[in-house]
Amino acid sequence: MKIIENVIMALKALGSNKVRTFLTMLGVIIGVFAVIVLVSMGEGAKAYIHASISSFGEGTNYLEVRAWQEGEGPFGTLSMLDSKLTYKDAIAIKEKSKYLKYIDPRIIRKGEVGYGRITHKIPFVFGVSPDYVYVFTHAVKDGRFFSEADIAEQKKVMVLGPTVAQKLFGGLSPVGERIKLKGYFFTVIGVFTKKGTMVGFDYDDIVAIPITAAEELYNTDSVIEMGMSAIKEDDIEKLKAEVENILLIRHGKKDFRVDTQEESLDLLNGILGILTGVVGGIAAISLLVGSIGIMNIMLVSVTERTREIGIRKAIGAKRNDIFTQFVVEATVISFIGGTIGIVLGIIASLTIMYFLNLPLTVSVWSVFLACTVSVIIGIFSGVYPAIRAGNLNPVEALRYE
Amino acid sequence: MNENSTIRLESLKKTYKLGAVDVPALREISFEVFKGEFVSIMGPSGCGKSTLMNMIGCLDKPSSGKIILDKIDTENLNDNELAIVRNRKIGFVFQMFNLLPRLTALENIELPMIYAGKNKIDREKASSQILEAVNLKDRATHYPREMSGGQMQRVAIARALINHPALLLADEPTGNLDSKSSVEILKILQNLNNNGMTIILVTHEPDIASYTKRKIILKDGNLVEDQTLEQVKIQ
Repeated sequence: MKIIENVIMALKALGSNKVRTFLTMLGVIIGVFAVIVLVSMGEGAKAYIHASISSFGEGTNYLEVRAWQEGEGPFGTLSMLDSKLTYKDAIAIKEKSKYLKYIDPRIIRKGEVGYGRITHKIPFVFGVSPDYVYVFTHAVKDGRFFSEADIAEQKKVMVLGPTVAQKLFGGLSPVGERIKLKGYFFTVIGVFTKKGTMVGFDYDDIVAIPITAAEELYNTDSVIEMGMSAIKEDDIEKLKAEVENILLIRHGKKDFRVDTQEESLDLLNGILGILTGVVGGIAAISLLVGSIGIMNIMLVSVTERTREIGIRKAIGAKRNDIFTQFVVEATVISFIGGTIGIVLGIIASLTIMYFLNLPLTVSVWSVFLACTVSVIIGIFSGVYPAIRAGNLNPVEALRYE
Repeated sequence: MNENSTIRLESLKKTYKLGAVDVPALREISFEVFKGEFVSIMGPSGCGKSTLMNMIGCLDKPSSGKIILDKIDTENLNDNELAIVRNRKIGFVFQMFNLLPRLTALENIELPMIYAGKNKIDREKASSQILEAVNLKDRATHYPREMSGGQMQRVAIARALINHPALLLADEPTGNLDSKSSVEILKILQNLNNNGMTIILVTHEPDIASYTKRKIILKDGNLVEDQTLEQVKIQ
């Protein structure tokens, strides 16, 4: 008997109990839907982060030093709070390095700025050095950035992100105005150009102050991270080795890590990959539940149709014919369910990404996976009921009421 | 062996195990039915008719003894081979009609051809021809629930004949029919027999058996009588 005949027969059988068939399919639909949406979102977030990272900063001519301890994960948060990296390290690197072009040590805090009666909470107060604008490619459009002299004198000066400027001063130029931060007045000397958001953070909603002023203001000498670029891009690996050496001599132990842009991306990718996998895995559990639903209904169906099976056997159906019939039915259910789930999943993924302003990507591998898995599930969950059906004794099956 | 033998039973025995007890259903049955015969198997309930029917129809295997169906010794056939024998050599007509409710008359009739691996064109041609022969052409696309008992049984007969079997096995074919439809069905069977079809009909009603040409009577799993209609008349 040809497979086409089986499929037609299966469609007829499934069509005769549409509500039940649909409910059975629903398990697979939801499972496939969830897998595709969640995995696509994960991949979308990844693509988004890649796109924003490569549009920011110096591209591949970039190194980042972070506090880190032996045994900690790549993004050690504990060490970050207790960073042993200091502005003095940055100065030392600048003095000793042969390959370094710019170094940008950063003290980063949350804060609230006030002008007159207006206050504004900002996610990032950057305590940075003059190299910041080069390393972070963050230009100043109005006024100027701080100089080495501002740093040396711990001057209370400030450069605003455009969002902050807009919030506090509307359309007027803030240069020369005095802004309150943590009880001190800072004089605005410039406004950054628009940079946009990256990985969900609004880089226009920041203020920058001299790193020395930040040390005083927050009573700290530890910097959270340092960005660097090399004189020649090809020397980035040499710069990395050099920086590691300098810091190792200064600190006496490896309480930091140096990553190239590529390594940072790899780390991020690794974490996002695990996250996507976990979320996708959870979604896959619903696929498993769906397959159990199919098996359950197929078992009921075999019992219900015992007489039909008896009749078919009496007129010449072989064990294999009956087996195939039920496996095909289960497969058709899960295939149709899978297809509906894929279509809905793609539509939902694209819609969500559209509204979240993520790049419109549908994870192709998740679609293939969901497709294959749903067919395999159908076959798998149909086999046991089908074996039961095929093994029915025709005499008893015919007697079944 | 006779060239014209359609089915031959040799010392057929069937014993069911009921717990530790053996319950004999058929004790030792031997007879032979030849091409073109119309035989009724009679007997009260529990006499072993149904068991015998299942053996002849290759739905069940005997405990011992032989069945030779259209020159095929069924003793050593496996399940698949028995399915093929049922498909090609035997046409079943049941008391309960046993049509598949979700299939139309035409689709029900085609079913044995599907299992025989025939293609769609052949199937459609053969099934509409045979539907015409049982006078149900206008019911081709009707479902069983839309048909009367007599009509359903005619569809069942058409289905039984579609693969040109060597033997038509009818198990109480009029058991669920009113007397008018019963006569109709028996006439059709007689007609088929007149055209050469070998038929075995199981019934417990002597009236119905009188449409056949030979009576086999079972009692308690034994064959107690085997007479042709001529012999009955002479008596």
